[in-house]
Amino acid sequence: MNKRNTLRRARRRTLFPFGRAIFVRTMLLTTLFSLARNGFSQEIAEYFRTRCTSCHTIGGGRLTGPDLKNVMQRAAANGKDREWLIRFMQDPQAAIQSGDAYALKLQRETPGNAVMPTQPDMTRQLAGSLLDLIEAETKLERSQFAGSPISLAPFTPEDVQLGRELFRGSQSLAGGAPPCISCHAVQGLAALGGGRLGPDLTLVNERLGGPKGVSTWLLAPPMPTMQSVFKTKPLKPEEIHALAAFLDHSALQGAPADMSGPLGFFLLGLGGAVAGLVLVDGFWSKRFRSVRYPLVHGQQQEGDE
Amino acid sequence: MNIRAQISVVFHLDKCLGCHTCSLACKNIWTDRPGTEYMWWNNVETKPGAGYPSLWEDQQKYKGGWDAGGKLKSTSKSRIVANIFHHPSMPTMDDYYEPWTYDYQELFNAPEGADQPTARPISLVTGKHIDIEAGPNWDDDLGGSPIYAAHDPNLAGLTAQQRQQLFAVEQLVFFYLPRICNHCLNPACVAACPSAALYKRGEDGIVLLDQKRCRAWRACVPACPYKKSYYNWSTGKSEKCILCFPRIETGQAPACFHACVGRIRYLGVLLYDADRIREAAARPNDELIDAHRSLILDPFDPEVIAGARKCNMPESTIAAAQKSPVYQYVKVWKLALPPHVEFRTLPMLFYVPPMAPVMAARQGDALNHVSQDLFHDIEQARVPIAYLANLLAAGNESKIGYALRKQKAVRWYRRAQTVGDVDAQTALRMLREADCSAEEADAIYRLTALSTFEERFVIPAGHRELGVEALQDPLKHKQQAGFGFIAGPRRGL
Repeated sequence: MNKRNTLRRARRRTLFPFGRAIFVRTMLLTTLFSLARNGFSQEIAEYFRTRCTSCHTIGGGRLTGPDLKNVMQRAAANGKDREWLIRFMQDPQAAIQSGDAYALKLQRETPGNAVMPTQPDMTRQLAGSLLDLIEAETKLERSQFAGSPISLAPFTPEDVQLGRELFRGSQSLAGGAPPCISCHAVQGLAALGGGRLGPDLTLVNERLGGPKGVSTWLLAPPMPTMQSVFKTKPLKPEEIHALAAFLDHSALQGAPADMSGPLGFFLLGLGGAVAGLVLVDGFWSKRFRSVRYPLVHGQQQEGDE
Repeated sequence: MNIRAQISVVFHLDKCLGCHTCSLACKNIWTDRPGTEYMWWNNVETKPGAGYPSLWEDQQKYKGGWDAGGKLKSTSKSRIVANIFHHPSMPTMDDYYEPWTYDYQELFNAPEGADQPTARPISLVTGKHIDIEAGPNWDDDLGGSPIYAAHDPNLAGLTAQQRQQLFAVEQLVFFYLPRICNHCLNPACVAACPSAALYKRGEDGIVLLDQKRCRAWRACVPACPYKKSYYNWSTGKSEKCILCFPRIETGQAPACFHACVGRIRYLGVLLYDADRIREAAARPNDELIDAHRSLILDPFDPEVIAGARKCNMPESTIAAAQKSPVYQYVKVWKLALPPHVEFRTLPMLFYVPPMAPVMAARQGDALNHVSQDLFHDIEQARVPIAYLANLLAAGNESKIGYALRKQKAVRWYRRAQTVGDVDAQTALRMLREADCSAEEADAIYRLTALSTFEERFVIPAGHRELGVEALQDPLKHKQQAGFGFIAGPRRGL
């Protein structure tokens, strides 16, 4: 009896060499995948919502990027096929650098001549799915991506003040994300401007096409660095409103912060280091230096007579 | 009682002639490797003098030794972190001297010129030509005394007039001070090491530095008030006198002892009570000499012998302690005194203070001494007692006076015995005044003047087998020991 059981188990193992559990999981995944390919799964729509809506709408008009309603037809009118669009989505920078006329035209139409940021996870398959989604949404009377949930109420001084506090971190962001100042600088905010990992945000309004562009950007920041932070700790709509108000306000202040220049920062560091060394030397002026040399060369210290 | 054995040493300064044979014997065996050229594990310096490294006795500068509260002067747990990259009271290479050799090829290769070619000195550190500014015995025989000897820290407490006289022609005086590691009972170097690379051997008290454990913190260098731990810049490890333990373990005297021309050196075992070290090191300055002596136990006392056996001391070590010449000099006769006991490391090297002629006085054309008894009036000796007291007795002049008076009484007594030109009654009175019996005087005379090699160096059996037995089968050890590769000290971990 025992022997037969063992034999049966051995046979099963040859059928499913990695064990039954893995076999079942593989089947399940394959099914899910085929579902995703057929209908527009929730995942693709969610991807669009988190990654694209900061710059694009479908039928809601231009934000930073163009309105994507009828994007296929417009491309076809300019002699571009679906294949070209997929390649553009995968690497916009390359398409522009290739000198393609349509790509250059797209860039010219964008405020601040911004280029769509490259998405590192954009596979051919994903880009195709997104195009399918856009096409399906284009046919609808009103797409779910026609407008952003951004408040368009006019900015008040209180909004600006709240935005300033959020930017500086004197008031924490509700989601637990770090304050903007840890990576970004703004003119006239603090003595040293702010962080230097991200760009100076003084003139961000010009680059992103006004407060509306800024707001949608903040809703789902598309840059890889920000994505990793804000994906799990999103901003609340009132916070976005306040920050957009503050950045709109700071846009009126003029040129980017002077101290943000790398030379100024370097000189400040150098000066600080020298001042520190002078201070330390003064503090420990009576420290041990040498015994024989002052003894022989007559530079007697105090108390030695 | 926690009774342990310590191989201890007496240097009889009255016999030292300053020939430096000891220094060279040591250098040729141990410190002629790269990185050790500047080290003199054994050095001989002239006193009064600045010594090597310069003014090593000045702990205002070097911060060596312990304070009365039992804390190291050079470092502490917090300071070792604060000074992790730089120790603030470390002597520089310049405070020792930059070691050099001569470029002898210049004698042959120099282009023809108006002058004789010379062998130019080159640094043993950089290999470049240097101007020699200092050496390990630069102020030998009071050379440059207005600079060096005049700043000897032991002159503290002497009046300006005394100082002036000390260096006046016809009155000047000096003696030699040979120095090795003192293998202290309360070693500051061991306490200061953050890597626990330094240790004091349990069986004989020799202080050693494990080259594999040393991490180049150099905390031992400032901590040792005698500046007898040195940093090897080539291997990145510190090194110090090892009392030639490979020779000791095989029954031979250490190289500097063996080579000593004046036969000034004595070596023997002392038994001491390890439980009372901390208490003795914390006593006020004027009690330190007595506290230090009280740690040394009488090897003939049955109680001490029983205690030593209880502490697993081999019989041969107890027997060696009973024959120890150091015990006689330090504990019985009280002639030998530890150097700078106020540094509180409880050094186990003792010096018999040197006698010196009394002051001279000019009478017409003749130069005479002012005393009737040339070597008797110690108060009129050329070396002021206060100076010797600062060097050997933490300023306690009575201890120096006792040792000098006894030595002089012995001299007088022996002269009455052998030459007979002095009054025997006077000699006996002097002995009495010096707290010395005739038998003791004879014994001091014998050990000082007539002692044989075996009497001067009573080396206990090494008993390595006991150490081996504790860890390994002795037979197995015997079969394996000495086979394999020798791993010399090397930079890095």
